Amino acid sequence: MTSDPESIVTRYVVRRVLLFSLILLALLFVITAALSRTYHAREEGLVTEWSQRGNADLAAGKPALAFVDFRNSLSYGPDNPGVQLHLAEALLADGRFTEARSYLVNLWDRTPGSGEVNLDLAHVAMQTGDMEEAIRYFRGAIFGSWEKDPGLQRRNVRLELCEFLLSHRRTSDAQTEIAGLAADTPSDDGILREQNGRLFLRVGEPAKALAEFEAALKTNPRQSQWLASAGHVAFEDGDFLKAEAYFSKADRENPSDEIHASLMLVRDVLGNDPYLAGLSDEERSRRTRGDFDQGIRRLHECTGIGRSDSAPGQASPDVQLLNKEAQDLEKRVNLFSLDKNPELRNEAMQIVSRIEDATAQACGLGTGLDQALTLIVKRGGGSNP
Amino acid sequence: MSERDIPIEEERPPEPTGEFPSAEANDSSLKWLSSRARSLTLSEGNLFLLLAIIIGMFSGMAVVCFRITIEWVRLGLLGSALAPPPMRVILAPAGAGLVVAFLVQKLFRAARGSGVNQTKAAVYVFDGYVPFRTVIGKFLTCSLAIGSGQSLGPEDPSLQMGAGIASALGRRLKLSRDKLRLLAPVGAAAGLAAAFNAPISAVLFVIEEVIGTWSASALGAIVLAAVSSAVVMRSFLGGEPMFRVPPYTLAHPAELLAYAVLGVVSGVLSLAFTKIIAYFRPKLRALPEWTYYFQPAAAGLLIGFIGLRFPQSMGTGYPYIDQALHSQYTWEILAVLGFAKILTTSLSFVSGTPGGMFAPVLFIGAMIGGAIGGLEHHFFPQVSASVAPFALVGMGTFFAGFLRVPITSVFMVVETSGSYSIVLPVMISNTIAYLISRKYQDVALFDLLAKQDGLELPSMEEQREQIVLRVEDAMRHPDLPPLQAGDTLARAMEIAETSTVEVLLVRFPTGRWAGIARKDLPAMASAHAPETQLREVLSTARLPVLHPDQRLDDALRFIQGHALLPVVSRAGSRKLEGVISLPDILTAYQKAS
Repeated sequence: MTSDPESIVTRYVVRRVLLFSLILLALLFVITAALSRTYHAREEGLVTEWSQRGNADLAAGKPALAFVDFRNSLSYGPDNPGVQLHLAEALLADGRFTEARSYLVNLWDRTPGSGEVNLDLAHVAMQTGDMEEAIRYFRGAIFGSWEKDPGLQRRNVRLELCEFLLSHRRTSDAQTEIAGLAADTPSDDGILREQNGRLFLRVGEPAKALAEFEAALKTNPRQSQWLASAGHVAFEDGDFLKAEAYFSKADRENPSDEIHASLMLVRDVLGNDPYLAGLSDEERSRRTRGDFDQGIRRLHECTGIGRSDSAPGQASPDVQLLNKEAQDLEKRVNLFSLDKNPELRNEAMQIVSRIEDATAQACGLGTGLDQALTLIVKRGGGSNP
Repeated sequence: MSERDIPIEEERPPEPTGEFPSAEANDSSLKWLSSRARSLTLSEGNLFLLLAIIIGMFSGMAVVCFRITIEWVRLGLLGSALAPPPMRVILAPAGAGLVVAFLVQKLFRAARGSGVNQTKAAVYVFDGYVPFRTVIGKFLTCSLAIGSGQSLGPEDPSLQMGAGIASALGRRLKLSRDKLRLLAPVGAAAGLAAAFNAPISAVLFVIEEVIGTWSASALGAIVLAAVSSAVVMRSFLGGEPMFRVPPYTLAHPAELLAYAVLGVVSGVLSLAFTKIIAYFRPKLRALPEWTYYFQPAAAGLLIGFIGLRFPQSMGTGYPYIDQALHSQYTWEILAVLGFAKILTTSLSFVSGTPGGMFAPVLFIGAMIGGAIGGLEHHFFPQVSASVAPFALVGMGTFFAGFLRVPITSVFMVVETSGSYSIVLPVMISNTIAYLISRKYQDVALFDLLAKQDGLELPSMEEQREQIVLRVEDAMRHPDLPPLQAGDTLARAMEIAETSTVEVLLVRFPTGRWAGIARKDLPAMASAHAPETQLREVLSTARLPVLHPDQRLDDALRFIQGHALLPVVSRAGSRKLEGVISLPDILTAYQKAS
């Protein structure tokens, strides 16, 4: 301990100054806090103000202006992920993919599970041609988090991914995605079910498509478009009975030329198909005979063979040969012989098939019963009627 | 003030009188608090550390206010858009330039310049004295200048303000001259740490550029001040790194070559920038004094015209650095912006407008780096992945080349970006730029500016590179092997008679060394029997020992009062490496000079 006068004065000064400094610090703290609070409030105001302008410009289709607005906004709130995302979207809309990617990658690092960020990155990758990266980010978006309506957002992303995959002919990947889409679709949402059905059709899965259309129809059995779609799928799948049922319902609910034509075609098929299961031999023979006669008629109409004004040698040698074979067969084809001989029925239908092919090449696709015959022989495919 | 403790005087606190204390109770509480404060025990060393924390807090808050004021001025004068309206762009820097010039010429003459040299001058010329008026002047003039769009930054002024605050506190506390000199760098580190949100870089810069040595007495206080200042700043303005950078990975080893190219270009450009300032600054200073009132305004007008086309080149430019780091500009634009900023910063600085060089240097570096990165990516897309790391590395590279603080530049990039992975390219690029700058510009910028102002401040760069003489440079082999502690006095006399050495060294088994001067031997012989062992004769004697790697300056301190000192191995003090005497030391110094 010391008690010399100089030391006492020094200690006194130290205490006074330290105490004074602490009071001054407290005062400065209050001033700084007030100043920074005011400034932060102003900053937040500017972030919102510029962001709103950006959104308006983006909505008005002015991405370049929106980009400037968002950039202004970000200069006051550089960590605002919402504005960063909007800025990236403005850049994307303006075709500035590299810059957009830079922002988005930064955002992704902070929120790798954000559905929006992943989707935007997928868009950038699509634009830059990086397919695998695009798929990766699409999947990130599908399994990522979404603030608003996550179910719908995920579905939309999946739809977009399907379109993307289909446009790049990656059908099997698209099939997987559509299957996932169908699994996640609520059973009572007919619109989405019908959408699934169309996608299944595009990837060549008519059975699954039909199942989706039928599921859609359960929610609204009188929706004519869905009925028609189901009819078309059943028709393409060769299930003419089902097709006829859907087409006739569709025709009842909302008659149109197109549906009516489809219905007539199905009915022609059903009324003339000798291959249909459950027919008696007699009926098969009758139908075969009718189809054969129609085939001969079609050949004559198309090539002019047999007409009085036709000059010999006008038809090609192949057609003339076909005509000769048909005439030879015609001599043997009658209801009795057809009834007894399934091979003859087959032979007759083969000739019909060849006639339809030849006339389709020479005169274009047949209509009405000829169109039905084409379908019948294609479906019969070599088996005995 | 002495190292002795201030005594404790215990006093009892007043008895509590109720829920709401009366005025008398308040008064007694204050008395109690005051008495408690009186009873604190503080040595000068502890007081110094406590002061460092207080300085850090003051500086942190001052810098927060400073930065916010700059932003308010900018919003008021230029508006909130990054690209302000043309009339404001032209009028704001010119108008503010007039006001700033008036303030500097009439009220705050010491506020001119960046602040780094002024702080160095305070340390080396004015015994740590920085007038508080300078702090106020710096705050006002720099806020106005930078906020109006003059191409300057707030970091160096913050450094000077920190030094000013520290100096004012030290004076109030009537600290010794030595302590006052130490306080200025402490405050400088605090100011810079808050301005940069980078305490490590601030500490390194102050050591590298202001005090020049890793002085143990100052280091603790500097670190404490920088940390407390950064903590205060972060609590008000947030703790995010200054720049948000996309993650960096080395795309290809050849990318490092690209960074080497960046180092070369940045080195050359930083050299050119230094030459421009070195050439034009004295020219403008040589003009009649009345022109000083108009130089900042004229510079502001020219900057405004440049700003019409390139608003990015105005002010600190930090938002645009962020944009460059996010690849928002093509390499052509980046290059143009870099050159535009060199022009606008040169105009601002040589016109005497108060403000710092750090921010513009970072801006120029980022733009040049981004341009080089973009160019390389254009021609060799497989080599470089993105422009952003080049912009980031460019900042540090230009900083290293222009300000000649290589260590600070590396840490600054890492600290301001929070990205450690970038350190390898930064080191390569910075070293190249630094070496080019050194090769073609003998004197570093701050030393050059000091010389132009008529001050001979010590050059830290020169100090770092001075040849350090060590004990091994002066020591020689001993003329005789040392005697052992078990040898007799008779043996010592026998050796002394057969040789000419003035001092006989005696080695003890414990590693202790002692010496016997030839002239003392007769007295010893008369006092002791010849068979007496030397350990008994020299029971209390002890010679200081030196090691070969010790600085020769240290040897000078130890040799006082001794004719000869043993130089021993660090592996064991019994192993004699050589001996050294005062003439040996002087000879070594003479040879070196």
